[in-house]
Amino acid sequence: MSASESIAGGREQRVLQIIQTARAKRPRFRDERITLAHGAGGKATQTLIDGLLVPALCEPGSALAALGDAGALTIDGHRLAMTTDSFVVKPLRFPGGSIGSLAVNGTVNDLAVSGARPLALSVSLILEEGLESDVLRAEVEAIALAARSAGVEIVAGDTKVVERGAADGMYITTAGIGAIDPRADCSSGAITAGDRVLLSGPIGEHGTAIMLARNLFELDARIESDTRSLWPAVDALLDAAGAELHCMRDATRGGVASVLNELARAAGVGVTVVETAVPVAPTVAAAAELLGIDPMYLANEGRLVAFVAPDAAERALAALRSVAGCEEAALIGEVTPETPGMVLVQTGFGGRRVMDQLVGDPLPRIC
Amino acid sequence: MRYVDEFRDGRLGQAVAGEILTTVDPARHYKVMEICGGHTHSIYKYGIDDLLPANVELVHGPGCPVCVIPMGRVDDGIAVARTDGVIFACFGDMLRVPGSERTLLDAKAQGADVRMVYSPLDALRIARENPDREVVFFAIGFETTAPSTALTLKRAKAERLTNFSCFCNHVTIVEPLEALLGSPEVTLDGFVGPGHVCTVIGTRPFEFIPARHGRPVVISGFEPLDILQSILMLVAQLRDGRCEVENQYTRVVPRDGNARALEVMAEVFEPRPVFEWRGLGFIPHSALALSDAYREFDAEARFDVPGVRVSDPTECQCGDVLKGAIKPWECRVFGTACTPEHAIGTCMVSPEGACAAYYNYGRLARAREIV
Amino acid sequence: MSAPSDRPECEAAEGHCITCADEGIVMRVLELDGDSALCAAGEGAVTSVAVDLVAPVARGDELLVHAGVALVRLGVPS
Repeated sequence: MSASESIAGGREQRVLQIIQTARAKRPRFRDERITLAHGAGGKATQTLIDGLLVPALCEPGSALAALGDAGALTIDGHRLAMTTDSFVVKPLRFPGGSIGSLAVNGTVNDLAVSGARPLALSVSLILEEGLESDVLRAEVEAIALAARSAGVEIVAGDTKVVERGAADGMYITTAGIGAIDPRADCSSGAITAGDRVLLSGPIGEHGTAIMLARNLFELDARIESDTRSLWPAVDALLDAAGAELHCMRDATRGGVASVLNELARAAGVGVTVVETAVPVAPTVAAAAELLGIDPMYLANEGRLVAFVAPDAAERALAALRSVAGCEEAALIGEVTPETPGMVLVQTGFGGRRVMDQLVGDPLPRIC
Repeated sequence: MRYVDEFRDGRLGQAVAGEILTTVDPARHYKVMEICGGHTHSIYKYGIDDLLPANVELVHGPGCPVCVIPMGRVDDGIAVARTDGVIFACFGDMLRVPGSERTLLDAKAQGADVRMVYSPLDALRIARENPDREVVFFAIGFETTAPSTALTLKRAKAERLTNFSCFCNHVTIVEPLEALLGSPEVTLDGFVGPGHVCTVIGTRPFEFIPARHGRPVVISGFEPLDILQSILMLVAQLRDGRCEVENQYTRVVPRDGNARALEVMAEVFEPRPVFEWRGLGFIPHSALALSDAYREFDAEARFDVPGVRVSDPTECQCGDVLKGAIKPWECRVFGTACTPEHAIGTCMVSPEGACAAYYNYGRLARAREIV
Repeated sequence: MSAPSDRPECEAAEGHCITCADEGIVMRVLELDGDSALCAAGEGAVTSVAVDLVAPVARGDELLVHAGVALVRLGVPS
């Protein structure tokens, strides 16, 4: 290497180091106003959580500080998980689902990927003045149907009405309670170098379905949201891998890219994804290409990623594939000790690139 | 799609990368400029840098139409967007470009009706659907995109729409390249040429580069294999002592471009005597304005725009990056004061911008083969 | 209930703007419709494309499309 090349190399390395250090620090929340980016599940959301919510609401070592999809509580020796969620999806109905089914499945899934069997939900409705009763009826039925399918009971509820112009039809807030499964021992801290990354099915369906349902781009394609309960998939994984199932997340807003980035940061490890191993339906790929969006960043409502110890990976994958709806589950990557906190993609073409977290918002009000 | 699959085949890519390795002179350092933002994006998306020998350096050029818009023009657009009753339509990348005080996205958060579109025809549709609102389209892009604006305005005229106008910031590709080649700080061995611009203007306009500046040009497609093949063709020209414009993208690019597109552009646009390019200064005849016949659709005539020239912040080195004079990480604010979340300059805002592409995709310690 | 096309909903601050990136998508003509054509990209993503600059086109033709406008009819010797 020539002298000038090694100097250039050194300079580049120093700048990269500065970036890594800056990113490792706790972000400060300095924005003057809330923008849609804060709801996207990417960097702005992280900064809001890490910079404003956590310092204000969290004691170190508390359930909230773990920042999982659900908070763990022990009551009288019973290990429970609790989660809360709100649903502001627009439009209310879309191919494959509606705000009602999303609300139930989304809450159930936060519990499931935390290793908890979902037991009960509360459902709180905020209704816009002028909402057609038929619309409300349809959503209430959707909630009931989804709850029955998921095997959970709705044990509490509330209804509020706000003036025309607020709530855009309807918003739903939920809380969910589950029993932490004795087979489960999941946390981001359990993720270790060598772990394999499993994905339970094709990506980008919910995000694309919503985009098309908004009718903004004169784009037509037959794509349905993938909303469903992930408990059967989690159950199968726990059965096959037990304590070797180190961590799970459902890949909702921000997509697979976001959850992998969050976990890479939280666990202080690198993750490498093999691009050609990630299942994407051809229609989703075509629509995403037309819109210039990477499916890795699109929201899913019925897909999880699981970090599994290497010896358990094959049987965990087989178990996943035997669950209805997860037939296309795949092993998409692995955890590496190099490049901690970064997610890399081995491209189909042979080179590598970084897959960073979202900065903005490809599609607001996705769930 | 047939085309796409072949041109993303990794094994073919490895084969071409191997050929590049055997074609280059190990004692020589090659600096190749890729002009088009789409090429920048592809190079990073597919990790093409990773596949090249260490003595072939890719340098990003001024072909990102978002990156080259000066802050004053962004301010003008924002002023129009904030006018009562206006629906302001623009391409996605423009939303986060910083003006002197805010971005279009900020303006939207503050109440302006700003909407993202993929085509000026979408903006026209919005105008038809909202007859009581003024709809303004922020037109940007090189000669690839100018025909779509031209067609849209033709349709607007034919339909006698009175609530539609265009804030025109179309730029042309040849003039900034001339300016760049005339600049002493820039030393390049060859160019990867913009494949889609050439579908409109043809390949002839690039012949001045070999003829007057002695540098070869290869017009390239956008798939990773296209780009690798183009680089191979370039280093082969340099090895053989040839210097000409070659077309790697023959499956798409006709040598003479699209005559009808050029006609439509000539009807709707006229060249601006001069236009300011961010970081590159004032370049004559490098941009388009609406012609007299289409002045009724000119947003600059219909609305009051501040029209104030705003200098880039002193710490911003976008100009040097756009000329290929420095690499993104050599900019003094790269990664510290200027990040994708809080961008100072356009190179960091647009995902096609060299800085954003490097920050988002290229930011890893590359193990490269030392030739 | 607010009208569907009321407020703007999309901000692609992420992904990339394929128009700004000068990208062209190869699309297949499904149906003609005056100076436009209904075209499909890949498998079943269908959108309307202005074909004034490449007419005449026929069903099955492949077009290079940028910003909603066809710039080249592919497969035709130039």
